[in-house]
Amino acid sequence: MAGIFRFEDAIEFAENPEPRCPCVMLLDTSKSMRGEAIQQLNHGLVAFHDNLVRDSLAARRVEVAVVNFGKDVRVVHDFVSVDSFTPPVLEAGGLTPMGTGILKALDLLEARKAAYKAHGVPYYRPWIFMITDGKPKGEPDGTIDEAVRRLREDENNKRVVFFAVAVRGAYIEKLREISVRPPVTLDGLNFVELFVWLSRSTQQIAHSQVPLPPPGGGSF
Amino acid sequence: MAVPTSPEANKLPYTWRVVGASVRGVSHFKSDLPCQDAHVWREIPGGAVVLAVADGAGSAPLSQLGAARAAVSATEWVAELMKGTWPETDEDWLGLLAACLETAHEAVNLAAKKRKAPVRDLATTLILVVATPRVVAAVQVGDGCAVVLDSGQTLVPVTAPQRGEFVNETLFFTSPDYLKAAQFKIWHGLVAGVAILSDGLQMLALQLPDATPHAAFFQPLFRMTTEHQDMREAEFQLRSFLQSDRITSRADDDLTIVMATLHRTP
Repeated sequence: MAGIFRFEDAIEFAENPEPRCPCVMLLDTSKSMRGEAIQQLNHGLVAFHDNLVRDSLAARRVEVAVVNFGKDVRVVHDFVSVDSFTPPVLEAGGLTPMGTGILKALDLLEARKAAYKAHGVPYYRPWIFMITDGKPKGEPDGTIDEAVRRLREDENNKRVVFFAVAVRGAYIEKLREISVRPPVTLDGLNFVELFVWLSRSTQQIAHSQVPLPPPGGGSF
Repeated sequence: MAVPTSPEANKLPYTWRVVGASVRGVSHFKSDLPCQDAHVWREIPGGAVVLAVADGAGSAPLSQLGAARAAVSATEWVAELMKGTWPETDEDWLGLLAACLETAHEAVNLAAKKRKAPVRDLATTLILVVATPRVVAAVQVGDGCAVVLDSGQTLVPVTAPQRGEFVNETLFFTSPDYLKAAQFKIWHGLVAGVAILSDGLQMLALQLPDATPHAAFFQPLFRMTTEHQDMREAEFQLRSFLQSDRITSRADDDLTIVMATLHRTP
């Protein structure tokens, strides 16, 4: 056995940065989320963190940022790796500028990817999890349409993976219009499995479609 | 060309020591996937060796079959052909590599047909290296890399990882435009060793962003292959190394390395 350890010790690894997987938690903090819904959402954020932090590779590779849409659209938490992420506790109030939120999340991911490129950090396809009750309201007409159009384009070009996550009692029909994949519920959503699935090697060419597995959790 | 490449000059009293291992990645355990990497080698009488590594796509259901078919058929075809004559010019070598790719591609297509599955279900990469004491011919479609150790102990990358924007998106040997996507390289010099690795080890073995081989990674491995008489013991050590915490805490994909060092026959 001693021979094995000596051999192992003799080998040193190249000092490369870990590949990163940027993830935006896009959270509905509108008035309609008051009560049980915002609690579910806050629990979801904690579950996301707890889930990923137990997986040492995912904890180092997944970077999370939090954007809310409600009273305003704001980056509540800029990108940090999961192991140094503290889930914020959010309060509900205001309208539901969902389209503005989606566009903000997409912009944030573009900026993050540019930073990775500038530093030579390899990265995985980014994720967005939008946790909502699903009723866009309180933004200029056409904003949500513009957001959906850009989201579809980015999904079709495999630039992003978007999950619409519904709290109980959410307006599912609207979420179906927004997301290319079926909305899911928060209950039992397994983020580690999702990371494992998303990091499997896939074809570089945009058109070869591999079907998405259910990300765990309930579907409609 | 200062270094002769004719078969007579090449067919010197040399043998190769080859050691290789493929281990299942941590992420494959988690999602109950088999090891989808394959590695194969054949020694060719007269002092040549052919090595291949294929990395089956994690997203394709029959990729371990695709990887195995690609690696085995490519290697056997080259070994069979080189029992007769060896390529002389670079053009001959390139012809051999292209024909070998076509043969292996056909073999994977056939395997897909037998299973009544679309060929994308067998998606895999392929790296093949033919080494003689004075020439290394390499071809690669997809991620991973091949490296030469020359007689001056310098590491030379002969192929480079091919990937898209995202870490886990690669080109596949099973795609229709595989010939266009392939990297070909004919390297001339005095060869001490060659190695092929799958993309799982890339982050540890190559220095980014230029993907230069990391000497502190390769030198001990080549030394081990050179010094070990017993290749089964060497393989055991290599396998233990690939399964050690130091590696698995930093790499979760399937891991494959196959390497050969040249030795003068006593």
